[in-house]
Amino acid sequence: MESKNKHFKVLTLAGCLLASMASTSVFASQLVIMQNEPPRSMDPGNQTATFTGTVLDPMYEGLTRLGDDGKIIPALALSWTSDDSGLNWTFTLRPNVKFHDGTPFNADAVVENFQRHLNTQRGLAGSGKIRTFIQDVKKKDELTVTFQLKKINPAFLTVLASGPGLMVSPKADKAGSINNKADGTGPYKLVQYKSGEYVLEQKNPDYWGKSSGPDEIKWTWSSEPSVMNMALQSGQVDIINPVPPQFAGMLKNNANVNLKQSPGAAVFWVDLNTQSKALSDVRVRQALNLATDQQALVKAIMFGYAQPANSALAPVDPNYDKALHDYPYDLQKAKDLLKAAGYADGFPMSIAVQAPDARTAQVLQGMWSKIGVKLNVRQMESGVWTKAAFADGKEKAAQGTDAVLASWSSGLYGSDLQLRPLYHTSSFAPGGANLGFFSDKQTDDLIDTAASTLDDAKRKDLYFQAQKQISGLAPQVLLFYQDDLYAARKNISGVVMQPGGQIVVRDAVKQ
Amino acid sequence: MNSIDTSVLSPRSRSRHLISTLLANPSIAIGGALVLLVVLAAALAPLITHWDPVEQDLLNTLQAPSAAHWFGTDDYGRDIFSRVIYGARITLFEVSLSVAISMVIGIPLGIISGLAGRKMDALIMWVMDIIFAFPGIVLAILIVSVLGEGLTNMLIAISLFSIPVYARLSRNLTLGLKNMEYIEAAHMLGVRYPRIITHYILRNSIGPLIVQSTLTAGAVVLSAASLSFLGLGVQPPMPEWGTMMSDGRNFLGLNIYVSLFPGLAILITVLGFNVLGDGLRDVMDKRL
Amino acid sequence: MKAYVVKKVLSLPLIIFGVSIIVFIAIRALPGDPARLMAGPEAPQEAVDSMRVRLGLDQPLPLQYVRFAAEALHGNLGLSLQSQRPVMTEISERLPYTLSLAALAYLLAIAIGVPAGMTGAIYRQRIPDQIVMVLTIAGASIANFWLALLAMNYFAVELGWLPLLGADSWKNYIMPTVTLAILPMAMIARMTRSSMLDVLSQDYIRTAKAKGLSSASINWKHALRNALIPIVTIVALNFGSLIGGAVVTESVFNWPGIGRLLVDSVRYRDYPVIQGVTLVAVTGVVLMNLVGEILIGLLNPKIRFD
Repeated sequence: MESKNKHFKVLTLAGCLLASMASTSVFASQLVIMQNEPPRSMDPGNQTATFTGTVLDPMYEGLTRLGDDGKIIPALALSWTSDDSGLNWTFTLRPNVKFHDGTPFNADAVVENFQRHLNTQRGLAGSGKIRTFIQDVKKKDELTVTFQLKKINPAFLTVLASGPGLMVSPKADKAGSINNKADGTGPYKLVQYKSGEYVLEQKNPDYWGKSSGPDEIKWTWSSEPSVMNMALQSGQVDIINPVPPQFAGMLKNNANVNLKQSPGAAVFWVDLNTQSKALSDVRVRQALNLATDQQALVKAIMFGYAQPANSALAPVDPNYDKALHDYPYDLQKAKDLLKAAGYADGFPMSIAVQAPDARTAQVLQGMWSKIGVKLNVRQMESGVWTKAAFADGKEKAAQGTDAVLASWSSGLYGSDLQLRPLYHTSSFAPGGANLGFFSDKQTDDLIDTAASTLDDAKRKDLYFQAQKQISGLAPQVLLFYQDDLYAARKNISGVVMQPGGQIVVRDAVKQ
Repeated sequence: MNSIDTSVLSPRSRSRHLISTLLANPSIAIGGALVLLVVLAAALAPLITHWDPVEQDLLNTLQAPSAAHWFGTDDYGRDIFSRVIYGARITLFEVSLSVAISMVIGIPLGIISGLAGRKMDALIMWVMDIIFAFPGIVLAILIVSVLGEGLTNMLIAISLFSIPVYARLSRNLTLGLKNMEYIEAAHMLGVRYPRIITHYILRNSIGPLIVQSTLTAGAVVLSAASLSFLGLGVQPPMPEWGTMMSDGRNFLGLNIYVSLFPGLAILITVLGFNVLGDGLRDVMDKRL
Repeated sequence: MKAYVVKKVLSLPLIIFGVSIIVFIAIRALPGDPARLMAGPEAPQEAVDSMRVRLGLDQPLPLQYVRFAAEALHGNLGLSLQSQRPVMTEISERLPYTLSLAALAYLLAIAIGVPAGMTGAIYRQRIPDQIVMVLTIAGASIANFWLALLAMNYFAVELGWLPLLGADSWKNYIMPTVTLAILPMAMIARMTRSSMLDVLSQDYIRTAKAKGLSSASINWKHALRNALIPIVTIVALNFGSLIGGAVVTESVFNWPGIGRLLVDSVRYRDYPVIQGVTLVAVTGVVLMNLVGEILIGLLNPKIRFD
């Protein structure tokens, strides 16, 4: 018995020494960031999640990039021009750039990257953004490509800067390894993706440009707010994003931590399945909006770190209508509407949510029960939820999915990319994000016309009309605009937050 | 100690004697009192608290215990004391249903196994051994992953993994009793099996079976709470104690009351059943 | 003795066979297309079709089972839907974490449980014994994740003494180990106490006392040998309850072991993993039970003549 203990003590001691040596590289600086969900893929074109975009950002680049001040700057393209119609663009590519696996970056690579999105057989998750307005991409010579657009998109250059616009190594894409092993041109390359544990990135010694960031970046995640809080407070991680709002106060009071808050671009809502019997009636949908006490929701769920949402567009969007306010909290009016629609005694409905939003759904459950609506909350893990949320009409009917709690952030991509994927008839799930199959000719026309209007004032007016139209038809119950909240240890600087929660750490400095 | 020959007393005084013997044992008294406390709380819930266990008060979330809210409020502003008290109803429902199902299936299986031939006995015990080989939670997880989450499916799973205990116990008791002379005599006199079972076997097995049921009750409470805590059992907003405790994980350092009080309730309940079971077993051992 | 061991070992394959049947049937009992379920909701049609062939779904059920069993015996438990890595790899990466936690928990349980039980037996019915009795029954009645939450709240968050996350340093082991050790500790204390009481009243102790051996050496030498029986019983024969405790403990502490893997895989509906972990865990339990029964037979001849 005693010798067993002694052996064990020696082994544990040895184990600890080894472990402690492994986790603190004495000479390399390592920045550790913790988020609240694992990355969905290592291929930027095959995902649309903000917190995957953050992980991939140091490793990939597009033809353009968003500078620190939010303006477009050249990245893999040196310069570009367009003709008068705005539909034909020519890009001059940067020479002597290689992907992490050694494949050269050139016009062929660009063409292959965009063709894989234009190819309707592929089914990559991020292709939507490309397909809506890009007609074709062709090689002109080794370092020149041309784009033909279907229609004008004011956010064209921004689309090129992230998501499906990021360049992946064609060799890795063809080999099918790109999903698990990142392969781009960025200042960092993938060292290890330990499934379920972490993603480790290391400085790319062959990078074409300058990088002032740390030697290593490590991404980890936890779905538990308490863990994120403690990890930062104890110094185990350097940055957490997003900050669980209940702990924001505690973090603010911690002298070793900086809490950064900015108005967000993510709109949180409940998408209502307009093909469900009760929800097909606009009065019912309006009633749900009226029965939602947004202020109380913001206080209880977001601890004040959010704004009640009054419109489909977020405040950071230049075309946002601040004055729109169709649904002040009014239980009586809600009940009257339900009665008029024939549901004086209420009705049952079910909602699909992911774990981080479960509390919000439960609050809604409590609120809507006051007008007789029995909300069944079905919590699902990410893969299962994605399938349920993006299911088509038949599948949703079979599963009984009446509503989905989700959010959408078009960030700086402009109003079209916030409204079209959610409200246009052509965006029905599973092809787009119109999860509730909302279809209104007037809305479609407004969105389409606004997208090709070059005059800013006219476009703004069109978008105002669209917001009003959408609000009246209430395809969703709008909840709130979540603030972008991240927190970092005091010795970290050089971190930039793009509206929508996408944190950029490639130039961070750890003292 | 008690050398009264109880067979001499009238039936009424026999039960009175039984009760006083039972109560004289401190374990039975204490355990019984705790269980009774839980039962009373469940039964008298509306009288004990005026707060609705599912009504949210979003402006008063995560409050510490106060005069208005004896145990404080949870992250939806619901009164924790009220949820703990109403949660007792769910707990007792879980216990009764689960133990009942396990016994209704397990005991007959065990008796059949004991009375039937060697092959049947071996077959039944083989199936029981297989179920018994699974750690309770693992089997429950397997079943829930197939049937889905929720109170009913969780109870099915829990009842299932308790069946072997009753099967084995009643089989052993049956084997022991089978060879007793008066049963052989009854059999020879033409008394048929069903009557033998009810009159002789069950009657003599009641003691150990009741002891086992109190011990299983404790295990059911813990299993149900664990599964609900993991999100695999009772779904919100039902105030099950395990589900309530899982909320606390999101607020570590901010508010411990959300988890503290339901856990305390679990402790009291399970302790009550275990102590009661211990005491009953002691009394029975002495009488043998 | 040999007959006893042989009989026990022979019953092992039958039990494992039965367990594998239950696991096999459970997954087949799911509503929907098993090929689609095993391939994952996001897999393209070709992947589903090749999964159908792989599972042999067009063949009669018994043949499917044979295929499943044969693959399992070769260590092929399929691919995790979530990570697309072999289930066996996922399990073998995490198994050391669970086993190390279990081993430490058992050591702690023995280190405290045995002396506690002995104290109870020696001071029978007096105050130390009463304390031991109360603590053991409380220990068996506590929801261990409750204690875990309280410990995490005070020691990790409020006081900052212990880390909340991961399994890197020895500090990470403290809370999970104590949490997991409580139930076996209580059971070992109980059994040690009653085993010691039995032994203390037996003849040879009285003879030894009569021969003049000091009380101390009687207590430690003779009785300790018999304390091994409860230890073996709880460690080996009750291994199932430890695995059950590990499932919950690992979930609370985010411990990267197979218990947490099992719980996570249910949430993701990752059926290959659920199947694989259940098989491995239960097989482990059954093997430990077998070892325990053989050891008990060695230690206590009375039990052999079943």
